[in-house]
Amino acid sequence: MRDRLREAFDSVHAEEALKAAALERVSQKIRAEEARRRPAPWGRRLAPALACLLLAAVAWGGWGLWFTPTSLISIDINPSLELGVNRFDRVVSVRGFNEDGEALADSLDLGFLGYAEAVEQVLASPAVTGSLAGDGVLSIVVAGDDQAQSGRILADMEACTAGRRNAYCWQAEPGEVEAAHEAGLSCGKYRAFQQLQALDPSVTPEEVREMTMGEIRQRIRELSGGAGDGSRQPGRGHHGAGHGRAG
Amino acid sequence: MRSEGEIVRAMERHGDTVRRLCMVHLKNYADTEDIFQTVFLKYALSPAVFESGEHERAWFIRVTINACKDLLKSLFRRRTVSIDEVLERPAPVAPEHREVLEAVLSLPRKYREVVYLHDYEGYAAPEISRILGKNVNTVYTLLTRSRQLLREKLGGEEDA
Repeated sequence: MRDRLREAFDSVHAEEALKAAALERVSQKIRAEEARRRPAPWGRRLAPALACLLLAAVAWGGWGLWFTPTSLISIDINPSLELGVNRFDRVVSVRGFNEDGEALADSLDLGFLGYAEAVEQVLASPAVTGSLAGDGVLSIVVAGDDQAQSGRILADMEACTAGRRNAYCWQAEPGEVEAAHEAGLSCGKYRAFQQLQALDPSVTPEEVREMTMGEIRQRIRELSGGAGDGSRQPGRGHHGAGHGRAG
Repeated sequence: MRSEGEIVRAMERHGDTVRRLCMVHLKNYADTEDIFQTVFLKYALSPAVFESGEHERAWFIRVTINACKDLLKSLFRRRTVSIDEVLERPAPVAPEHREVLEAVLSLPRKYREVVYLHDYEGYAAPEISRILGKNVNTVYTLLTRSRQLLREKLGGEEDA
């Protein structure tokens, strides 16, 4: 019986169609499995990292746009300080250039205020009003590569100081800000220093730094025989003659 | 994962065994196609390393039987068909073998398995007990009973 069983089962074979169908299906599955196991293209693998990088770049770009000053407003009387204004007309930096200026910068919270409001607060501070009440001379210099913005700021500064005694507004020349900062002076005081140095070459930025604008102008007047006044500075920017009353 | 070449070679070596086991367990050619593909796909994806051809054959037998049992347990398995249909599809069995195969396939499944593994594949009862996960004594009992049933159906002398 066993032989008959053997012969009977021996006659059963896997049909070629059965094997072919199985081979095709198994091959498909193998290819699908290989594709699943294959590492994703580098682009897909790096996509999350690239997305994070892009987000960081956008965030960094926005940060840069917001926090980069495009114009400077230099305010000098005796406190000497500069306000950095971003392209959105907001104050993003306040820097004192002498002890009084640093003290004033510390006492005021000007961050992200509109520049007009910030300047109003500076001018309303006791240090400035006190100096102006004496014989102080207020100098406001506006600097910036964006001519449209700096022109607009200068016009506002002129309007802001229109009713004040001994107040002058100027537009800085290109490169003047860098030169002033190299000398450790604010822009307005650097301009006064240049006038004084023209008359007295021995004067140094260090000496000028702690002098009030009134004292510098007094020295200029003395050395020039009473004729040296910043309002008569020739060729100093668009608003070189500034405005103000040398009362 | 094994290559297509390995699968083709395994199909040549063990395709007939898988096909016969499907015939023993299943009464539906469509199920046979499914199990045939399932077994060779498992082989393709299996990390098993075979020490010998015999080891590999035992693996195919065990995997095929388990796959058939899983299919039979499924609530969604296809309808069953008559033994005649099993023997006719897709290639009809030669008339001289038809009586024997009909006799085997008409046995309850528990007897068909042991008859095939013992009388055709040549496994002893302890090996069958390991393959089927049954007690050895149970396998002996099944073998004895299956021979009785086959003698009743086919006549002839006992030769095992």
